[in-house]
Amino acid sequence: MVDAARHPRIDVRTFTEVEKVEGFVGNFKVTLREKAKYVIADRCNGCGDCARVCPIEVPNYFDMNLAPRKAAYVPMSQSVPLVYNIDLDACIHCYKCVDACGALEAIDFSQEDQLVEEDIGAMIVATGFSHFDPSVMDEYGYSRYPNVITSMEMERLNNSAGPTAGNLIRPSDNKNPQKLAFINCVGSRDKRYNPSCSNFCCMYSIKNAILLKQMNPNVDITIYYIDIRTPSKGYEEFYDRAREMGIHFSQGRPSLITEDPETHNLFVHSEDVTLGKVMEKEYDMVMLNQAAVPQPDQNHMSSVLNVAQSPGGWFMEYHPKLRPMDSPTDGVFFAGACQGPKDIPSSVAQGSAASSRASRILQSDHWEIEPTVAVVFPERCSATTRGRACGICAKACPYGAINIFSPETPAEVVTAKCHGCGACVAECPEDAITQLHFTDAQILAQMRAVLADKPEEKILAFRCHWCSYGGADLAGTSHFEYSANERGLRVMCSARMDTDFIYEAYRLGAGSVLYSGCHPQDCHYITGQLIGAKRASRLEKIFDKMGMTDGRFRVEWISAAEGDKYARVLNEMQAVLDDIPMEDLKAEIEKLKPEMSKRLKKFPGVPGVQEAMDYSDILVDAITKQKETA
Amino acid sequence: MTQQQPENNNEKLRVGVYVCHCGTNIAGVIDPKEVVEFAKGLPDVVHSAETLYACADSGQNQIKEDIKKHNLNRVIVSACSVRMHEATFRGAVSEAGLNPFLMEMANIREQCTWAHGHDREGALEKAKDLTASAVAKSRFLTSLDMIEVPVTQKAMVIGAGVAGISAALDLADQGIQTILVEKEPTIGGVMAQLNKTFPTMDCSI
Repeated sequence: MVDAARHPRIDVRTFTEVEKVEGFVGNFKVTLREKAKYVIADRCNGCGDCARVCPIEVPNYFDMNLAPRKAAYVPMSQSVPLVYNIDLDACIHCYKCVDACGALEAIDFSQEDQLVEEDIGAMIVATGFSHFDPSVMDEYGYSRYPNVITSMEMERLNNSAGPTAGNLIRPSDNKNPQKLAFINCVGSRDKRYNPSCSNFCCMYSIKNAILLKQMNPNVDITIYYIDIRTPSKGYEEFYDRAREMGIHFSQGRPSLITEDPETHNLFVHSEDVTLGKVMEKEYDMVMLNQAAVPQPDQNHMSSVLNVAQSPGGWFMEYHPKLRPMDSPTDGVFFAGACQGPKDIPSSVAQGSAASSRASRILQSDHWEIEPTVAVVFPERCSATTRGRACGICAKACPYGAINIFSPETPAEVVTAKCHGCGACVAECPEDAITQLHFTDAQILAQMRAVLADKPEEKILAFRCHWCSYGGADLAGTSHFEYSANERGLRVMCSARMDTDFIYEAYRLGAGSVLYSGCHPQDCHYITGQLIGAKRASRLEKIFDKMGMTDGRFRVEWISAAEGDKYARVLNEMQAVLDDIPMEDLKAEIEKLKPEMSKRLKKFPGVPGVQEAMDYSDILVDAITKQKETA
Repeated sequence: MTQQQPENNNEKLRVGVYVCHCGTNIAGVIDPKEVVEFAKGLPDVVHSAETLYACADSGQNQIKEDIKKHNLNRVIVSACSVRMHEATFRGAVSEAGLNPFLMEMANIREQCTWAHGHDREGALEKAKDLTASAVAKSRFLTSLDMIEVPVTQKAMVIGAGVAGISAALDLADQGIQTILVEKEPTIGGVMAQLNKTFPTMDCSI
């Protein structure tokens, strides 16, 4: 801690939150909210005179609210930086602190939150985890029985810098407990709350048990567990040491804690599965090892940082094995428990790993980004053809990357600002913009290829690169099986999924079409998904009006973490097709073809499309011939 | 920067197709040879071959040598997800002198054999179609250059718990100016609240 504060190249900003992140790799602009401390940091010498005279006491979060702090406070005596804060919500404005501070004049009640902009090349997100609140588990009586506490509360009571100076007492009578129990997996590995394992709690309860036993060898300690998980170096030996010290281990999650209202002693009811016996044991005090859960503001941070969340709410890495420190956004990395529960050694290792990932970028003068950007055909822009730029592209662009300088000048894409979502391309009514590497001709040629043979049996699935394509990958990685009639097409964002593609798919005789991208809050392109979603709901209405069978056009938002959903949606879409007799399906496709053609009148005029159609005719012939010979 | 154009210069296409076994990950469900034979009949395909592991050095070398030997100007790799190995194969073709954007992948592992183990025939049909789809796209691919952007050589670490502090120290020791942001009044995170820590029982601060 002190090393970080002392380092000449580290600028520590405490009591500060990230308000907004704009820009891209190498060139982020981050807006920070430096909250008012009402103390001038440069003048405060950390003497604590303000806190001594402050008459107001409120619970201190740092001590798990077991002890008070003043309205003028530091969370702990070793705070870094050692600068006092005035908690204005608690302050009664008696100004005794101002008098106590005296000539230092460090207290300034006129301070306000400051918004500060910083230019940043790369970011590491290490926002950590929070603790599960066991009071929702009625069976353990936390918050009802005074002597049932959480392990974090125990941690403060047992800490020499804590409220009792390390003297572990039980809350009901301030006596030192002699018989203690730890219960593991409280809120974790529990389908009602968090199905996953919290990773460090086994070791954490063993550590606390060893510490208590070292202080007083006569205490009787039992750890209730489901499984003891000690997979890292030195951990199993640590567990052995605990057993050698005489700490008891009882396998089986306790079902109930009851209390003797007189003594406030507790009875832990459990089945010891190794003995096959139902037990009821009396303890002075019980510690609950709470699950690690995402931070309460994790969803908010996920939108601010534009990073997706895995099931359970943790931040989601680009690839769990190959790029575990990378977020899907270039230049943003993860370290520690914000990505999933982790112990200290792993968190430190991840901090180092993330810094090394980030420094690849930060040690370079320039960084390369994908050239899949938008390009305007100026001769097609309405500014050229009609002397009036319509401006739809500029309105669609989530990044303000399109300039229209006057009604007569065609739209211009600022390449460095363009992130390549393709929203402007699909929205342009004149088809005057294309996206490199995802041109209409390329996508049309792909569609024709996959719909060459028995198109009525096929489900054409448009997926955005970041989420739904990732979801489809995860379905495969998890071996979730779904219909092999699916034929996937990848674009960068659902905003690129042009209505022409969908009409063309049905004109070519596709059985069904899936239109899928990310959830709105996960969008890689700020508002790209919203543009895609708006277009999709327009299409839904149109197809409904045309009389298309319900379910042949489906819109789904599937994240890269939702492999199960991808498989389920595809299987449901297959079931829809299976329910329509083949003759009826073919008849419906034929009946709707003229409608589709009508809406595609302008499509052949789009640059490259006629060429793609001519080429596709040859390709389709070849495919059919190959399949016949096979 | 000069703006890149999506024009196709009507060059004579010479497409090479590589169908990866990925050990048994792909070849355990479909016969890659059938996809290879199928691809041979597609327009502009001048070379079509199996490869045991396309991503391995041997697989990449095979592609690199063939680009020269068969004068290929498009390469299709029917293998895994673009999220897995697009960068690998872009690098490989680029080493052989081909623009990296003239390589296209077909995902016949994650999105085919791994998801359709129950329907081998369907998986084979799909693998053929996805390969054809990549060949089709390649007809309209154009050479592109990566866009170079400047880098602000300054880092931000959000959250000053043990992971964030460790990251900030390592960045700063590498000479990088680092802003360490913490929402609470003190850095240290949960670790600072702990007594001693396992397995070595050191003090947490």
